[in-house]
Amino acid sequence: MTDTEVITLVNDRIAEEFELAPEAMRPEATLFVDLGLDSLDIVDLVVVLESTFHLKIRDDKALREIRTLGDVHAYVIRKRSELAATA
Amino acid sequence: MPVFEFALVAATNFFFYTLTVSWTALAVVAFWPLFLATRLLTRWPWDKAARWWVWIYGRAWLALVYPVVRFRRSGFPPHGLERPSILVVNHQSFFDTFFMGGLPFFDVSFAVRAWPYKMFWFRPIMRMAGYLAVETDSFEATRDRARDLLGRGAHLLFFPEGHRSRDGRLGRFYGGAFRLAVETGAPVVPLVLTGTGPMLPPGRFWVRPTRVRLTALPAIDPSPYTGELAHRDLMAAVREAIARHLEGTPAPCGEIS
Repeated sequence: MTDTEVITLVNDRIAEEFELAPEAMRPEATLFVDLGLDSLDIVDLVVVLESTFHLKIRDDKALREIRTLGDVHAYVIRKRSELAATA
Repeated sequence: MPVFEFALVAATNFFFYTLTVSWTALAVVAFWPLFLATRLLTRWPWDKAARWWVWIYGRAWLALVYPVVRFRRSGFPPHGLERPSILVVNHQSFFDTFFMGGLPFFDVSFAVRAWPYKMFWFRPIMRMAGYLAVETDSFEATRDRARDLLGRGAHLLFFPEGHRSRDGRLGRFYGGAFRLAVETGAPVVPLVLTGTGPMLPPGRFWVRPTRVRLTALPAIDPSPYTGELAHRDLMAAVREAIARHLEGTPAPCGEIS
């Protein structure tokens, strides 16, 4: 899966799960303000990312640094790379 | 707007707002002695006594504004809900909470965001009534309080859209109410409120004479929903039930002709 495909899949899954308009899925969109997610949604977002990309990330402290959708893209791409390197 | 129509709207709104403000001012002052007397006479817990008077306030308001807003309810079981439940309601207007006085039972704790606590005249009453401060308290604190309330027979009421619909359509739902339902096992009762949008949508300050209906849909048991995202599946089922009912409601569901 290419980075572009990862970004598309992240956007599709978030838009589907949280009933967001596809046009709202901009990299600079902040999760809380622009996308209107709350803290419980973020917990669900982690579960969605784990199941979609077969990751184990819920205890990762780096998640606390995520502010925007672009941060989510970069985080997932990095985690997938780390997973591939250790495989 | 023709002169006659303008005069009618002005008179209607003068009547509606004068009554609402006067009744609220009277109720806020009278609440405390009546609440204390109720507590002494009934020996109910403090919060339950407060919730009873909040419900009485809402019921009386419905009677007072009857010339402007005709309220009806339907779908509620004649002998009340089988067990303490989580009620979820669509949200279209500032006055939606007032119409909860039309519920056929009084022991209901509202889930409240941060801004209503800025209304200083309601704030101490909301605190006394044990409302859930879902925006300022942690989920864990809210869950513990919810368990306590449900265990004592109270229902919990959420507006899962979080804010009023800006376009009249059902908005996206937030998951807190449904996570609570899954974690406590309390059934979710979808409630559909129609007519309050035409009455007073966001961005407008004058009310339009309206018919308002509150419909209870069949309760949904959370136990069949399992897995880490069970609450989201439950949420989707509840939202679907409300959306389907709204689609089946005649468009001008409201105006008094």
